[in-house]
Amino acid sequence: MALLQLDEVSIRFGGVQALLDVSLQVREGEIVGLIGPNGAGKTTLFNCITGVLRSDSGHIAYDGKDLAGVKTHRRARLGMARTFQNLQLFGRMTVLENVMVPIDAFSPRTPVGDAFRLPTARFEERKAEERARALLYFLDLLDAADLQAGDLSVGMQRRLELARALASNPRLLLLDEPAAGLDARETAALADVLFRIREQFKVTMLLVDHDMALVMRACDHIYVLDFGRIISEGPPEDVRDDPEVIQAYLGEVA
Amino acid sequence: MTSDLRLVRWTAVGVGVALGVLIPALLSDFLRTLAADAAIAGLIVLSLVVLTGLVGQISFCQYSFAAIGAFTVGSLVAGHHWDFWLALVVGVVFAAVVGVLVGFVALRLSGLFLAILTIGVALFFDRFVLAAGNWNSFSGGLSSWRPGRPSFFGIGLHGEYAFYLFAFGVLLAACLLVWNLRTGKTGRVLRAVRESEVAASTVGLNLTAWKLTAFGISAALAGLAGALAAVRVGSVSPGSYDFLHSISIAAIAIVAGAGSIASAAAGGIFLIFGREALIDWTSLSTQWFDLIIGAGLIFQLVYAPDGAVVDIERRVMRRLRPPKHLPREAEQRAPDKVPAAVG
Repeated sequence: MALLQLDEVSIRFGGVQALLDVSLQVREGEIVGLIGPNGAGKTTLFNCITGVLRSDSGHIAYDGKDLAGVKTHRRARLGMARTFQNLQLFGRMTVLENVMVPIDAFSPRTPVGDAFRLPTARFEERKAEERARALLYFLDLLDAADLQAGDLSVGMQRRLELARALASNPRLLLLDEPAAGLDARETAALADVLFRIREQFKVTMLLVDHDMALVMRACDHIYVLDFGRIISEGPPEDVRDDPEVIQAYLGEVA
Repeated sequence: MTSDLRLVRWTAVGVGVALGVLIPALLSDFLRTLAADAAIAGLIVLSLVVLTGLVGQISFCQYSFAAIGAFTVGSLVAGHHWDFWLALVVGVVFAAVVGVLVGFVALRLSGLFLAILTIGVALFFDRFVLAAGNWNSFSGGLSSWRPGRPSFFGIGLHGEYAFYLFAFGVLLAACLLVWNLRTGKTGRVLRAVRESEVAASTVGLNLTAWKLTAFGISAALAGLAGALAAVRVGSVSPGSYDFLHSISIAAIAIVAGAGSIASAAAGGIFLIFGREALIDWTSLSTQWFDLIIGAGLIFQLVYAPDGAVVDIERRVMRRLRPPKHLPREAEQRAPDKVPAAVG
């Protein structure tokens, strides 16, 4: 059974049909790619999956359960995590704090426990910090733990987004252009990081990116989105040779 | 945090507390009442440290929350002969509940729109809730409530120095609790909500619940200040809680810097003694004090956008610990072993 299943999801913003009857499925353990030119609707699709936007029609099911009416923070609790194309880090907080927040979100600590420094609160604090540091180590950010997130380079910020997304121990990781702003060497390294994440965390991924080399290398299955519609799908080598995909990316073939 | 930094911080706190206890002992009773007023105003600044400093929400109705504490104590103690301490608890809880209600209306608002909403709340209190004739059993109507001073575990708080010490102790305890909140999960989560709502909800935070928590805590602190003010003055009348007080205290919290707990002490002292000094030492009227706050606000926005106290703290910190340089972009290498705590 698919971990994530979309059936004919559509959404319209005024006169723009951002998504039209998009159906796709992501099976447990896979890295699925979603590619398409700028403005194809990739980020909109992510916003629908995470509940930031509500689709006009269609169904989104996670682990066999329909997500209609489930709020964003509840979806996180079901095991969804995402990174943001436009980097939504907690900029004026430290790198360590950024990774601790998702751990906090799942911990049972209350403001009362915090205010009076109850033993449980101190125990949870230590546990959260330890786990956050381990994740920073995993993504090679431990040296930067005490720096402000907003001061990091784009490459480090992208990795911090990954660390923060992993902190909630997700089953499904939605990656929105994790290679944007990275140079060729960093992008190549990113594919390795993704494989390590899959291996280590047994996490399923839906990856959106422009970088063909990354997507072709990392993904088991690829969907191509253009003007809000899925125009092609299949294993990487099939999609690469699909004339419709080439046309969408390069324009009319002479 | 390095240990010398911690030492500096605790020394500063220790010296502050010692001065706070000793100086009023040498002052006249009149100045002691002002010192108690400063501690009470400090509590209201502290309520803004929670709301503005942590979650980034503005409020121009903190004195309305204080009024809830004050009038609850006034009506229950003076009107119904309740014990002060029980009335205090009821007043604080009542203020927190109203704070949550205001927070509920304010959920989707921020910045200018939130400011306008809170001004509306303040005016509603001024013109309706506390106006004579509407809810006289709460507002006292044309005569003001006259609650007497309580005693604290058998120690009477009738003397001005005793009462000041009590108010100062309450302020210190509240500062400690807020400090703990700020350094714990609550502070981290609230700052995350301030920094990016979409990211905060995506990592699993319930924005509604956390914003209401912040409003509740903030209103409870203001309500506590009001309950103390009621017995400090010994009389509760609407004029002491009008909307202009809320504006001044919000301005002072911003000038001092809502990001620091020390702003509570600095803001309270500045509000009460600054105004007094202006009257005593110059021939100017108190209206000039508002002008000075306004000028301070402009000066602060240009030269120390995070507030004067925060700016001073930062300068001291920089002296003690030069800023760390960014480590050069670390080579992306696969670590050979993965720590067990991951996963």
